[in-house]
Amino acid sequence: MKNPLARNKQVGTLIALMALVCVLMLIFCPGSYFTAKNAKSMLFQFPEYGILAFGMMLCMIAGGIDLSLVGIMNLSGLTAALILLALIPEGTEASAEFTAVALIVSSVAALLVGALCGLFNGFLIGYFGIPAMLVTLCSLQLFTGLVYGITGGPAVTGMCDAFKEIANGTIAGTFVPYVLPIFVIVLLVVAFILHKTKLGREIYYLGTNRKASVFSGINTLKTSMLTYMTSGILGGVSGILITSHLNAAKSSNGTSYTLLTILIVVLGGVHPDGGKGDVVGVTLSVLLMQMISNAFTLLHISQDVKNFANGALLILVLVCVMLIRKVEEKKKAQQ
Amino acid sequence: MNRTKSKAFFTSNTMILVYVILAFSVVVALRQPAFLSPATPINLCRAGLFTFCFALCEMLVMITGGIDVSFPAIGCVSMYVPMVLYDRGILPDNGLYFVLVALLCGLIFGLLNGVLVSYLRIPSLIATLATSSIASGFLAFAFGVKDLTAMPTAFTKIYEMNLVTYTDPASGLSYPLTVLIFVPVVLAVVMALILRYTMGGRGLYAMGGNLSAARIVGFPVRRLQFTTYIVSGLITSLTAVMYVILMHNASTTALMGNEMLVIAACVVGGCSLSGGKGTIGGVLLGTLLITLVQNHLNMLGIDTRWQTLAVGIVLLFGVLMTSLQAGRGKGRV
Repeated sequence: MKNPLARNKQVGTLIALMALVCVLMLIFCPGSYFTAKNAKSMLFQFPEYGILAFGMMLCMIAGGIDLSLVGIMNLSGLTAALILLALIPEGTEASAEFTAVALIVSSVAALLVGALCGLFNGFLIGYFGIPAMLVTLCSLQLFTGLVYGITGGPAVTGMCDAFKEIANGTIAGTFVPYVLPIFVIVLLVVAFILHKTKLGREIYYLGTNRKASVFSGINTLKTSMLTYMTSGILGGVSGILITSHLNAAKSSNGTSYTLLTILIVVLGGVHPDGGKGDVVGVTLSVLLMQMISNAFTLLHISQDVKNFANGALLILVLVCVMLIRKVEEKKKAQQ
Repeated sequence: MNRTKSKAFFTSNTMILVYVILAFSVVVALRQPAFLSPATPINLCRAGLFTFCFALCEMLVMITGGIDVSFPAIGCVSMYVPMVLYDRGILPDNGLYFVLVALLCGLIFGLLNGVLVSYLRIPSLIATLATSSIASGFLAFAFGVKDLTAMPTAFTKIYEMNLVTYTDPASGLSYPLTVLIFVPVVLAVVMALILRYTMGGRGLYAMGGNLSAARIVGFPVRRLQFTTYIVSGLITSLTAVMYVILMHNASTTALMGNEMLVIAACVVGGCSLSGGKGTIGGVLLGTLLITLVQNHLNMLGIDTRWQTLAVGIVLLFGVLMTSLQAGRGKGRV
């Protein structure tokens, strides 16, 4: 079923592109790109949207899409912020034990909210058979609307310093930020789910041929609910990170991430029709996007141009994917 | 009309929508008798004008089985580029040139969408998302983000032309109804005729229902799809010009965020994301419901901060209604 050669090609292309970025940066600004400081700043940035990209990947492999991820991210981030503020109001000091408990409670609540949001998506998609695109577009509006309604517009701020440390702190004595191990754990868990569990196999089958998977006895309702729940939990993780990173929860955080995650996932070898792609490709593509984004920042290129470039890159990648597919189909037809 | 037919009529999507709109209006009117003043329909027309025009584009795309999320960005480009050119004195003081430049912008991005979706076969959501990003990125980078208000004198004249003006006797406020209301009316009539009576119009429904079948029957499906995106781009830019005239302002993000409103109006109005469905009447009712909810939520005593959520709930309602009417299609992802 899997074509090892095609996968190696994908990995090879991504590594070649990363090398290309390195060479270009070596020419244009060697002084600031290849420094420890820059490497450190990169390590802080990518886990936030990298984790979101894994959620998008799961849904796309299952033949769907999750446009509500940014909404889930903001809703669960807000949940964490509100619970934390209720436990430790702004300006008050709490003991280390109590702070730890508060952090754990608020994080678990955020993940729960993410899971519930995902279950809601999965239920509508699996039970009613409504296209994933429409369901998640609708729930994006609902989740964003909830956040906006609760906050009333302005950001919720004033969380305790320990919360800020989650995304901005480093492990004592090293330059490794906390977010890096979080990213690695998420990566391993997603890889485990996809490749070692029954759910993972079902996700691939569902994306490859929905009808066939129904007739082969897969409970599609359960599978889609679990898929979108996992994606929702990942949205929750990301929500904690972005809220901690910006130290603010509001409805308009990270709105450019929808396009960015789709770009990452497609670049990582996941086909929008489903059934194809794996963690290795997407991880490499997350790193590649971080390298590119960082290069843009160092070259003083504005966010607008970045958005433009992301859109253009997405189209370019998809055109390549479609052309390769056409050539392969022709080859098959000749045989 | 026999009984089953009339029963089907009274429980159809359209009629359910009418009931909901009536129920909402009655509740609002009971709480706020001011709702019954002639100012309300005039306000609704003004507020729903843009949503309806955009919804017409979206409907066309949805009938072919696609979705378009790029029209806010395309609209912003086609209102801002001529504005900047006029501001810098490159365009003469002539409304016609302004409109032409706007249409050109709409055409370019409509072409881009068309090529991506119909010839390169990129899924329409992803293609239009990318187009949107390209358009707004390009706009902010190339022309800056300043709000502009200077516009051709012809536009000011159009702005002052009103069909009727209702003056509220109690407050003395006047509510003018602009002549531009004819633009969506004409658009809707022309579009309805094309969709109903021309081969191309029937082809759009056919390809939305079943692409391969439409191709085998002999419809030039690629060309039809391509044309749809171009027409959609052109109508979008026309609507953007109307926005400039009525709002006396153009900014790079003026229309952003409108896409959900418009998609909600279409879906509630009976368009299906899987294609082949959608009528002008349905979209009109959908727009009416969305505009009502948007403008009169506060009359029900609900804070305007819940507006986004309200639009989401309307959209959810539309999504569920459509899928329940179509019968439960279990076993999909």
